[in-house]
Amino acid sequence: MMSVSTLASFDYLERLPGTTFRRLYQQPSTSLAIFRRMLPHLAKTFVMALLYMSKPLPLTDLDLWVQPSSKRQKDQALSLLSRLNIVTITAPSREDPQVVSLTKNFKSALQLALTGGGDHQSFGVPSSDVIEDVDLRFLDEYARDQWEGILHYVVNSVGDGMRQDGQGPTLAVKDLLEAGKLVTKGRHSGGGITQAGFSFLLQEVNAQVWTLLLLWIENAEKMSMDHVEVLSFLFMLGSLELGRAYNTTTLTESQQRMLGHLVDFGLVYIPPSTPTQFFPTRLATTLTSDASALRSVSAGFDAALTAATGSKGFIIIETNYRLYAYTSSPLQIAVLSLFTKLSSRYPNMVSGRITRESIRQAISHGITSDQIISYLTTHAHPQLFKTAAAQAGGPVLPPTVVDQIRLWQIENERMKATPGFLFKEFENQKEYEGCAKYADEIGVLVWKSDAKRMFFVTRHEQLRDHIKSRKAK
Amino acid sequence: MPRAIRGVLVECDPSIKSIIVKIDSEEHAYVVEELDDQTLVIQENMLPLLKARLDDALKETQQPADDSGSD
Repeated sequence: MMSVSTLASFDYLERLPGTTFRRLYQQPSTSLAIFRRMLPHLAKTFVMALLYMSKPLPLTDLDLWVQPSSKRQKDQALSLLSRLNIVTITAPSREDPQVVSLTKNFKSALQLALTGGGDHQSFGVPSSDVIEDVDLRFLDEYARDQWEGILHYVVNSVGDGMRQDGQGPTLAVKDLLEAGKLVTKGRHSGGGITQAGFSFLLQEVNAQVWTLLLLWIENAEKMSMDHVEVLSFLFMLGSLELGRAYNTTTLTESQQRMLGHLVDFGLVYIPPSTPTQFFPTRLATTLTSDASALRSVSAGFDAALTAATGSKGFIIIETNYRLYAYTSSPLQIAVLSLFTKLSSRYPNMVSGRITRESIRQAISHGITSDQIISYLTTHAHPQLFKTAAAQAGGPVLPPTVVDQIRLWQIENERMKATPGFLFKEFENQKEYEGCAKYADEIGVLVWKSDAKRMFFVTRHEQLRDHIKSRKAK
Repeated sequence: MPRAIRGVLVECDPSIKSIIVKIDSEEHAYVVEELDDQTLVIQENMLPLLKARLDDALKETQQPADDSGSD
């Protein structure tokens, strides 16, 4: 199972040109991060097998490693590896069989990363001076404050009188949020949060961090920073150790400038007394951990988040759509108010109703019913879980409410739109079938009609190559 | 050689589809290809405009449901 963040960073990486990849893969930390964070297990297996192979491997030999029934997974893994410029596969021709090999930079960088050696300093240089008062707790708290400040700003842009005092994020972060269209300043009366902002808010922390960082990278070019350098720096941060001080003096000049921005996000902490040191926070060190480690680490972060804001489950929802939330956290109340009609607020509780109108409003902002339901489920009060358990594992939320929220969404969502490419005018049935089958195998097919010999795919590059190679044969 | 056309695949109810076709019949600026009762391909850049026009068309035909209910 891949998390949202993986997909978001994937999409970005896949759009990069090959030259960018060659430069990115010069850093062992980058190669290692992409290897462990971005690749599914089968792709990892291929990479490991190819890592110390001196000659390119014929594709037919690779086929033997995989059960015929798993051809689809194999094709998807290979297609991903070549999109990320990790492997090169020679073009099919009559004379030579197709061979596959790791790209040169990636191969040597990953070897360096795994076995050590070299003086690349790509994993950071620890600082020897020890500061007493910076411990894990302090770093977690610091990261949480910075990050909550940003989330608050996004939520509060809805502007329903719950504006938080305090400084909030810096101007640079605010500009970034606006440039990324997560908020808009003073447009219609509904407020400034956008569709993207909504889904941003409901993502898990790690996914949020990636979303914001990718925005930052996209805007980095405007700030005359090189995105390759930014990316390698982020991947380096992901390989650092939490609670350890690192030297800023070994960083390049532009990396030092980036450090300033990352302080704004709460990804690093620079002690005011010793500006030559920086501490990565949990937000930074979990950037590239692999999926299973991520879950426990982000759970740790969630625990840190909830420690300050009360117990984890605080929402009670009744079959009559009334909602009671035992919280005094302005952030949580603000999130609830995005899809609930809140009516009263007490010192430790807010109450309100979920109405057709409130859900409609949320949906018009681009939030989905599934997001609302999963938010309610994860934050359901222990009492609801107890009732569910008493009914031998019944649903946590009242089914009527869940169904109704879904129905309200369907009512408003009249069409499903998928951008992509329509393929048509195939010369014969055989050509059509071959292409449609291939499109399905690489996982891009969304619709097909055998009668009309047409199909619709989300990407066309590989399919185009496939059609060309068929012509060549 | 098959042809590839860029566009947005729209899946919807037959009733919605017929409204889209009706909107398109005025200026032929939206629909690239009608595929079947519930699917058609439209111009990518026209999607937001089409959504807005669809909402307008539906507003005329649908009554907003009663949403009072006491607190």
